[in-house]
Amino acid sequence: MPTTPFDSTLERREADLLGIWAFLVTEVLFFGPLFFGYVHGRLTHPEAFTAGSHHMHVVLGTLNTAILMTSSLTMALGVAAARGGRKSLRTWLVLTALLGLAFLGIKASEYWMESSEVAQASGAELTFYFLYFAMTGLHAVHLTIGIGIVAWLWRHASRYGAAYHSPVEVTGIYWHFVDVVWVFLYPMFYLLQRYSA
Amino acid sequence: MTYVLTWVGLMILLALTCASSYFPMGNWNSVVNIGISCAKGLLIAVFFMHLRHAGALLRIVAIAGLLWLGILFGLSWSDFGTRTLSPAPWVAR
Repeated sequence: MPTTPFDSTLERREADLLGIWAFLVTEVLFFGPLFFGYVHGRLTHPEAFTAGSHHMHVVLGTLNTAILMTSSLTMALGVAAARGGRKSLRTWLVLTALLGLAFLGIKASEYWMESSEVAQASGAELTFYFLYFAMTGLHAVHLTIGIGIVAWLWRHASRYGAAYHSPVEVTGIYWHFVDVVWVFLYPMFYLLQRYSA
Repeated sequence: MTYVLTWVGLMILLALTCASSYFPMGNWNSVVNIGISCAKGLLIAVFFMHLRHAGALLRIVAIAGLLWLGILFGLSWSDFGTRTLSPAPWVAR
């Protein structure tokens, strides 16, 4: 047993959780300016933002939201499996990573279809597209990192069990955070005045 | 089981937020969308991210992030909200 600066396993676990939550606070502030830019842009140019939103593929966006929320479920079940020392941890990690990859694949196909529409946009609609690509792009980078970490956990899954599972738990919290960011991005970009589309 | 119920709740809220945008409600469309997003975020934070079982320290840290976001939004808005934007000459209007 390596020496640690902690008096007990419980204290160590609390430090791990505090660490990831403190990191998530910096993440909130990292995404923050883009959210502010969106609020400002939409209040000053509401028509252009609605016009931009009508170019979004709402079916794919809704499907992707469902996929990402399902991946959060499989991740949460994976954390529960690790805590219980169950073998099913590997299965849940594979499912989580595959759902993440499916999300990225659908997102990439959307980018592909939208690339020609951006070329025709002008004025404040370009601001909409800039925010759309910047925010969903930054989100996709976070998800890619998340998939990488889940794959790493899968490779070392035999290390984790009832006694030690902090890496799985901390990754889960990160994964859910990325899900929460998307929960806000989805209506901001896909759902503006759908009734008039 | 709690996780599956949380997921069912998230799916119902997703259907609601999507469907609501097909009904013209003026500014209420945005209010409904933001409200449902907050509800989904809360479900994920409380159940999936285990804030339900977290101690006071973790809860304070989680809320501190949102509090600072609010402070910075307020400060930024007091600037951007009270000025006319002067676009650079090369920016197409």
